[in-house]
Amino acid sequence: MMPLVAAGSTAVLHNALLVGAILFALGLVGILTRRNLIVMFLSAELMLQGISVSLVAWSRHHGDFGGQVLVIFVLTVAACEAAVALVFVLQAFARTGRLDAAAWQELREATLARTVDHALPASDAVPPRWPRLSTAGVVPPGADESPLEREHV
Amino acid sequence: MQQVSPATLLVLVPLLPLVGAVLTLLLGRRLRSQAHLPAIAGIAAAAAVAVVLLLGTAAQVGRPDGIHAEPVRPVEMISTLWQWATVDGAYTPPPGSAASIPGTAVGGTAGASRAFSIPVALRLDPLTATLLAIITCIGLVVAVYSIGYMHHDPGYPRFFAVFSLFVFSMSMLVAASNFLIVYVFWEAVGACSYLLIGFWFRKPEAARAAKKAFLVNRVGDFGLAIATFLLWMTYGTLDFHDTLSPDGTILPGILGQTRLADSSGIVGGAVGTAICLCLLLAACGKSAQLPLHVWLPDAMEGPTPASALIHAATMVTAGIYLVARTAPLFVACPGALTAVSIVGATTALVAALIATVQNDLKRVLAYSTISQLGYMFASLGTGTLLGFTAAIFHLVTHAFFKALLFLGAGSVMHSMGNVIDMRRFGGLYRIMPVTAATFLVGALALAGVAPFSGFFSKDEILASLHGKGWPHAHGEHHDAAPASSHAATTPPLHLVGLRTSATEPRAVDRRALIGDGSASGAVGWLDGLDTPATWQVLFWMALLTAGLTAFYTFRAVFMTFTGPARVPEEAGHHAHESPPVMAVPLMILAVPSAIAGWWLFSTQWLSHFLSATPSFTAPAVATTAAPHTFHMDLAIQGSLAAAIGIVIAAIGHLGRRSDGPQMERFLGPLHTFFANRCYIDQLYSGLFVRPLEALALVAALFDRHVIDRLVNGVARLPVALGGVVRLLQVGLLQRYALAGVMGVLTIVLALAWRLRG
Repeated sequence: MMPLVAAGSTAVLHNALLVGAILFALGLVGILTRRNLIVMFLSAELMLQGISVSLVAWSRHHGDFGGQVLVIFVLTVAACEAAVALVFVLQAFARTGRLDAAAWQELREATLARTVDHALPASDAVPPRWPRLSTAGVVPPGADESPLEREHV
Repeated sequence: MQQVSPATLLVLVPLLPLVGAVLTLLLGRRLRSQAHLPAIAGIAAAAAVAVVLLLGTAAQVGRPDGIHAEPVRPVEMISTLWQWATVDGAYTPPPGSAASIPGTAVGGTAGASRAFSIPVALRLDPLTATLLAIITCIGLVVAVYSIGYMHHDPGYPRFFAVFSLFVFSMSMLVAASNFLIVYVFWEAVGACSYLLIGFWFRKPEAARAAKKAFLVNRVGDFGLAIATFLLWMTYGTLDFHDTLSPDGTILPGILGQTRLADSSGIVGGAVGTAICLCLLLAACGKSAQLPLHVWLPDAMEGPTPASALIHAATMVTAGIYLVARTAPLFVACPGALTAVSIVGATTALVAALIATVQNDLKRVLAYSTISQLGYMFASLGTGTLLGFTAAIFHLVTHAFFKALLFLGAGSVMHSMGNVIDMRRFGGLYRIMPVTAATFLVGALALAGVAPFSGFFSKDEILASLHGKGWPHAHGEHHDAAPASSHAATTPPLHLVGLRTSATEPRAVDRRALIGDGSASGAVGWLDGLDTPATWQVLFWMALLTAGLTAFYTFRAVFMTFTGPARVPEEAGHHAHESPPVMAVPLMILAVPSAIAGWWLFSTQWLSHFLSATPSFTAPAVATTAAPHTFHMDLAIQGSLAAAIGIVIAAIGHLGRRSDGPQMERFLGPLHTFFANRCYIDQLYSGLFVRPLEALALVAALFDRHVIDRLVNGVARLPVALGGVVRLLQVGLLQRYALAGVMGVLTIVLALAWRLRG
C-alpha cells in the first residue's frame, strides 16, 4: 500500500522529533522528581532513548546513516552504563538500607538541618511486624494493622 | 696655617650638636652610661667655635672709645647654605609699595614681579654671636651637670639626644636670616621643649604639662605665621638681609641695610602695627608672657637640667631675640612698642606676686623667670638703643644666674629624694655647703644686689624706663643731631657680603619712618598710649617688682637653707652634697653670675658690641643712643627696693622652720588668689579646655557610633548575602540537578526569544 506521507518529509520529522522530545522531557522530569534511585536511573535511560529517537529521525530526514549508527553506539553505552549505575545503586542501598535519594544529605551546609520529609513512613528502627498465620485459618492476634504499609522494599 | 672662613665656623655651631644628637640616637643603646659622650662632644665643640666667632666679631667691631663715641658701623656676615624653595613670579607688588623692586619701571612689567625665594641663610652679627655663645656655653655646663643628675635614669640616651637637638634648633633659630627658617626652628625648639618636659611621659602630670606647653606655644606660633604672611605681602621678601637678583639689582631684605638706611623703608601705620602685634603674640607664647604664660610653671615637671637650659636661659629668650631682631619694625610703630612694655611690666608684676606665695622651689624659679622676662620686654618696649641693649644685657646675666639657681634647685632635689616642697626640708647649708653658697650667689644676682650681675642689668632696665617717663630728668640727648648725621653717612661693613648702592645720606627723624602717618582707630589708640605718664606707671611697676623679686628669692633661700636642719624621709642616704660632676658646674656658673655684670657694665663692652648689630644701627634706633652714665639715684632706688624685700623675707623666714606660719596671716584672701595663680588656669580651663573637650567628645561619639557603625555595616553586607545564598546548599542531589536544569532552561528560552525575532 502506498504510504500516506513521503519517507523524508518534514511532517514525519516533526512527529518523530516530538516523540523524542516527549521522551526526553519525561525522563528529565523523572530524574528531578522521583526519589527512588532505580526509578531515577530508569528516567535517565528514558532520556537516552529520547535522544536516540531524535537521532534516528534526523538520520532519516537527511538520508545519512550516521545518526542511526550513533544510536547503536548509544544503546551499547547505555547498557554498560546501566551495569555501572546498578552497582552504584546496590552500594548505596548497602550503606543506608534505603533506595531514597534523600537519604544522602551529608554534603550540606553545616548550619542547616537535615531535610526531613514528614510524609515518609516511620524509620527502620522499628522492626516490621509480619503477620503470623496459624495452621488452620484462625485470625491471628494483632491482625488489625494495615498490611499495606511496609518500611522495606 | 690655613684660615678657616667665618662662614664655615658659623655652620659648625649648629651642625656639631646636630651630629651629636644623631649619633646619640643611633648609638645610645650601645653606649648606655656613656651615651652622653657624642652630645657633650658636639656641644663642647660648638661652644668653642661660638666663642671664637664672638671674639672674631668683637675684633671687627672694635673697642668702645669712650663716652661720646663715634657711631658704630654695622657688622654682619651672611652665609647662604642652599636654596630651599623658589617660585618665580610669585607676587607682583603694587608699584611704589615697600615690596616693589627698586629701580624697576612703574607700570607692572614682567620684571617687576617678585619671586618667592627661601634661602637657608645664616647670619653672623653681634646679637647672634652673643646669643650663640650663651646658648652653647650654658648648654655645655648644663649638659655636664646632667651627667650626674640623670645618671640612673633609664631614658639617659634619649635625654642627651633631645638636649643636643635642642641646642642645634636654638642655634639655628638665632642664626637664621629668613623669617620662614626662623619659623621652622621656632617650632623645632617648641617640639624639643615638649619632648623634654614630657621626658617622664609615663607620669600623667608630665604628659599633660608637655601637651599644655605645646598647645599654648602653638597660639604664639599662629601669631608668627600671620606675621610672616603680612611681612611677605608688605615687603615682598622674607629675608632679613639684602640679596642680589640675577640681573644685578639689590632686593632689599626686611632688615637689610639698604632698607634700614632708607627713611621710608619700614612700613608703619596699621599694617606695621599689625605685624608687630603678631610678632609680640609669638614672643609672648615662647617667652611665657601674659596671657600665654601658663605653660611655664607646669613645665617644671620636666627634668631640672631641661628647665635650667630651656626654661631659664635659652628657649624662653627666643621671644626676646625676635623682638630685638625686628627692632626697626617695632620702632616704626610706637603703639606696638608701648604694648610690648605694658605686657612685659604687667607680666613681671603679676608673676612676682604669684611667686611670693609658692611653696615649690622650682615653681618659685619658674615664676621668677616669667617675671624677669617681663623685665626684658619692658625694656625692649622703650624703643631706645639703651632699652634694647639693656634687655640683651639682662638676658645674658639672667641666663647665668637663673641656670645657676635651677641647677642648684636640682641639686637640692637630687639629695632630698625628689622632694622639692620647701616646707618639707630646711637648714640645708650644713648638709650642702657648695650648693648653698652658689645658690646664694645666684639669689643675690637675681635680687639685684650690687655688685652682682643682676644689679647692673636691672639698673639699666630701670634707667631706660625712667628715661622714657621723665625725658628731661638726666639731660640725655635723645634726638641729637650730630649723632644722626654720623649714623647715616658711615658706610656699612661686611665680612663677606654685598656692597650697597650709594644711597645719599639723609637726616633722619624717627617719626618719618612711619609709613602713612594717619593712624586711625585701634592703632591711633595704641599710639596714644605712648605718653610719659604711661612710662612712669611702668617704672613704678618695675621698681615694685624689683622689691618683690628680692623678697621671694630670699624667702626661698631662707626656707631652704637656713633654720633647723630637716630632711624628708624620701631622702634616705641621699642627703649629702652633690658629686663633683654636679657641683663643679654650679661653681662655674657662679663666677659670671657674680662678676659678669660689673665687668660688662664698667667696660661698656656689651652695649658697644651690640650697637653694631644692623638692626640697632638703623638710624631710628641709633639716634636714641645716649651716653652711658651711672645713674646714682636709680641705683639707690633699686637697691633700696631690694634691701626692703630681703629684710622682710628675713623677718619672716630667716632661721625659722620652713613649715611654720606662712603669709596667709597677712594676705588673707589675696594669698588664696595668688596661690591659685590668679585663677588664670581655671579661666582658660573654662573658656577653652572644657569646650574643646566637649567638642572632642562629640567627635569621638560620632566616630564610634556613626562612622564605625557604617563601616561595620558595610562589612556585614557580604556576610548577610552569603547567609541567604547558603540556604540553597541542602545536600539534596535532586535540588542541585533542578538548579542546573533551571539554568539551562533560562538560557534556551533566552536564545529562542532572540532567534524568534
